[in-house]
Amino acid sequence: MQLTVFNGSPRGKKSNTAILLEHFLKGFMEIEGNSSEIVYIVENRDREKRAGIFRNAPHVILAFPLYVDCMPGIVKSFIESIKPLCGRQGNPSVGFIVQGGFPEAYHSRFVERYLRKFATRLNSPYAGCMIRGGFEGTPSMPRFMTRGIFSHIYELGKTYGKTGTFDDGLVARLANPEHLSVLRRAFFRFGLFLGLPHMYWDRQLKANNALKKRFDRPFA
Amino acid sequence: MKIAILNGNSNPENQKFDDYLDRLIKALESSHNTVAYFKLREMKIRPCRGCFSCWLKTPGQCIFKDDSRDICRDYINADFVLFASPIIVGFPSAILKHAMDRLIPLLLPYIELVDNKECHHMKRYDRGYPPIGLIIEEEGDTDSEDIEIVRDIFGRVALDLKSSCLFVKSTDISVEEVSDAINGI
Repeated sequence: MQLTVFNGSPRGKKSNTAILLEHFLKGFMEIEGNSSEIVYIVENRDREKRAGIFRNAPHVILAFPLYVDCMPGIVKSFIESIKPLCGRQGNPSVGFIVQGGFPEAYHSRFVERYLRKFATRLNSPYAGCMIRGGFEGTPSMPRFMTRGIFSHIYELGKTYGKTGTFDDGLVARLANPEHLSVLRRAFFRFGLFLGLPHMYWDRQLKANNALKKRFDRPFA
Repeated sequence: MKIAILNGNSNPENQKFDDYLDRLIKALESSHNTVAYFKLREMKIRPCRGCFSCWLKTPGQCIFKDDSRDICRDYINADFVLFASPIIVGFPSAILKHAMDRLIPLLLPYIELVDNKECHHMKRYDRGYPPIGLIIEEEGDTDSEDIEIVRDIFGRVALDLKSSCLFVKSTDISVEEVSDAINGI
């Protein structure tokens, strides 16, 4: 299989999306004869060029972080650049990977509906949509906490490399938690009471010498 | 009422859409509203690059000193915000989404459980955040499913921005009907 991945993260090569894709592609490349290339949307603003890359690819995956409950603006701009290809015969198969900062996969379900419809518009075979929440913090977590997630992503890449579609079981496991369980909510509330979730941000604010300004309201 | 309108029409040849908004603004102003109008394609708004500086380095302000600051100012001081855009491949334009992505300085990085259920960022400003609405111009193949998807996504956007989406209306309906809906808020 020959795969073209469009990485739609505004952070480009230094993104969490790139880390996620690294594990996915490691699995994908396990299959003999497979090849892959990555196109960074943020670095590639030429509309015709990227439409050309899309048009000539047999299989495409579009991956991005969730921005304000949807695709980032640069990904919408990418989608607009392939508008002329909608409905064409022989478009590549398309799969999607959406990662969000909040722990629940649910936040990404709305854009998932859009993406499925987008595949229909393209007249493209739909490979599936992988959703993973809580990814903003994942790469900075200790390895023992992330091993499971990354191995699922690797497996998803591997099965996709064989079949050309996303494995439903793995997709479901990666989307867990869909919502926060009652227990996790209680933990979260208790953590909030202790100020724990704020510490992640406060540490960075402190390092930037901006902790005192954290509640600034410049437009009030 | 203070109203902010974001025109996300990226095609200067689509005069019809701009004319519709011009007529809407006139109707709103004649019923004693103040309108801050942003024609996004004529403004300098860089895409969000996800650096979180607006939360962690210059809290409340984007590191890019471009026209998006004016939008943030008028957004948070408005009583109602109207997003407007032709539908392109099933969703409002990229330039509108760029402007929306640049609204996150209005929130804090800190996370709370909304309705004791779902994670969202906390608000930065004390005041009530303005309700939003959306005006779309349908494209050739827009169907009811597309409109439902857009409506649901804008409902989620509003939830992020501590408010609700009051309507999604198409330019097929009259300007008066839209201005009546806004005046009725």
